[in-house]
Amino acid sequence: MFAWGFVLPVIYATFGQDLKELVEGNPLLSQFSQFGGGDVFSLHGSIALGFIHPFTLVLMGIFAIGFSTLAVAGERQRGTLEVILARPISRHVYYLTLLLAGALFLAVLLGLHLVASIASASVMGVLDELALTSVPLLWLVGWLLFMCFLTIGFAASVSFDRLAPAVGITLTIVLVSYLLEVVGSLWPDAAWLQEYSLFHHLAAKQVLDGRLMPADVALFATVIAAAVAYAWVVFPRRDLAAPS
Amino acid sequence: MSAILTSGLSKTYGTRPVSSGRRSDPTVGVQALSDLDIDVREGEIFGFLGPNGAGKSTLIRILLGFLRATSGSATVLGQPVVGDAPEIRRRVGYLPSGISLYDTMTGEALLGYLARLYGRGAPRRQALLDRLELSAATLRRPVRDYSRGMRQKIGIVQALQHDPELAILDEPSEGLDPLMQHAFYDILDELRRAGRTIFFSSHVLSEVERVCDRVAIIRAGRLVALSDMEELLQRRRRRVEMRVHGPLPALDHVPGVSGVAIRDGLLTCQLEGEVGPFLAAIAAAQVIDLTIEPARLEEAFLEFYSDDVPGKQP
Repeated sequence: MFAWGFVLPVIYATFGQDLKELVEGNPLLSQFSQFGGGDVFSLHGSIALGFIHPFTLVLMGIFAIGFSTLAVAGERQRGTLEVILARPISRHVYYLTLLLAGALFLAVLLGLHLVASIASASVMGVLDELALTSVPLLWLVGWLLFMCFLTIGFAASVSFDRLAPAVGITLTIVLVSYLLEVVGSLWPDAAWLQEYSLFHHLAAKQVLDGRLMPADVALFATVIAAAVAYAWVVFPRRDLAAPS
Repeated sequence: MSAILTSGLSKTYGTRPVSSGRRSDPTVGVQALSDLDIDVREGEIFGFLGPNGAGKSTLIRILLGFLRATSGSATVLGQPVVGDAPEIRRRVGYLPSGISLYDTMTGEALLGYLARLYGRGAPRRQALLDRLELSAATLRRPVRDYSRGMRQKIGIVQALQHDPELAILDEPSEGLDPLMQHAFYDILDELRRAGRTIFFSSHVLSEVERVCDRVAIIRAGRLVALSDMEELLQRRRRRVEMRVHGPLPALDHVPGVSGVAIRDGLLTCQLEGEVGPFLAAIAAAQVIDLTIEPARLEEAFLEFYSDDVPGKQP
């Protein structure tokens, strides 16, 4: 994430103006260059692009989905969950500990990404274009987005005894959400689909431009709260039969 | 005080279609335990016998708070089993059947990690490692390199290293070679002398017969026998073979003797209960050879599992 955070400001500083001239006047290229609300024509746009680029999705998604689903359903399938839960650890404590660990790791990953972007902008001499006061807000909103996926992953994880359905459901939610955002951003007639994508509510460029939408934060907070509440209620009440 | 006490404990798993699996079919739960009443006394080794699927693991998992009973109640070390029950698990050591371990950790790191989760030391660890011949060099290797027997030894150590008041052991000697089985039985003897309670679930009859003070036999989720081991064996029929020079003794009406048969001069019968009346009956005969095979738990077990035993629950 650190290397990825460093790359996009470099691309902007090096090729941004040339690319902007190339796509201007070409409606098709212009539409494609607006992928996910980011672009490489401005520093804010390039940092925003880094947040929603497939590369980020893969890196963060692997962690958010992999960690959360392996933590309960994966351990259950392997048979190691009962070895841990045979200790005097309540399921609430087990869940909270893993949730906090995942949340902290996501925060560190995104923090590294943004620190790298700032360092990169500084090295390339474009730091003055960055609204530094907005960076913590972007970090917060990005963290909330990936916390949504982490908590959804945990909710699926506590619901199943096998890893496959937990991963499948979580991955489906993330991919459908991403697909809606991509299709909506590349096809003007389907732009309305974006409203149904969690990725769309990240609006990283807007946040860096100082236009944080409280409704987006509220949406993320609601999704996280619902997923946490579900896992909090369901996990301790589930029967953990002997692994088959 | 009872270490484990259950009263009318029942567990039904979910529902499944009775016949073809169509939605319209009536559904029925899978009855894993039915009205189970057992009382495990403190300081004893209690054998819990039954074949696979009889409900042994279900009971254990209810006692540990992994499963919720459908009805009835249970207490462990005087504490009622309600919900998650972490406070009960603080005082219990548990060895699951076919234990799964973290393969990438070394044995030493794994035992340390699992002990720390109890929030107290591991006073018995070194003695257990010595008994089970787990060397320091072995413990420095990752668990993935361990054989099945070595994993089982690690499983035994992790269950007992914190010196629990009650150890719940599910198929504990699985995968151990005969030498290590003996070492394990010695460990159980030591724990018994130290006043610890062992709940010993197994389908290996010989080891239950060897180590347990009392035994419960479970069939299709129902308790079919609960008694002292001695008493259970006493009630079993012993097989008698006898060769006699001269006239055969009359055994038909001797108390406890049944199934008398004579073939090629060999008298065979079955003997139940006191031996005295039988010995008195053959005292006058010139006995050349006499064999009385001891009653085995296996016979008791098979009797409880034969379908035609009157009065036994199916």
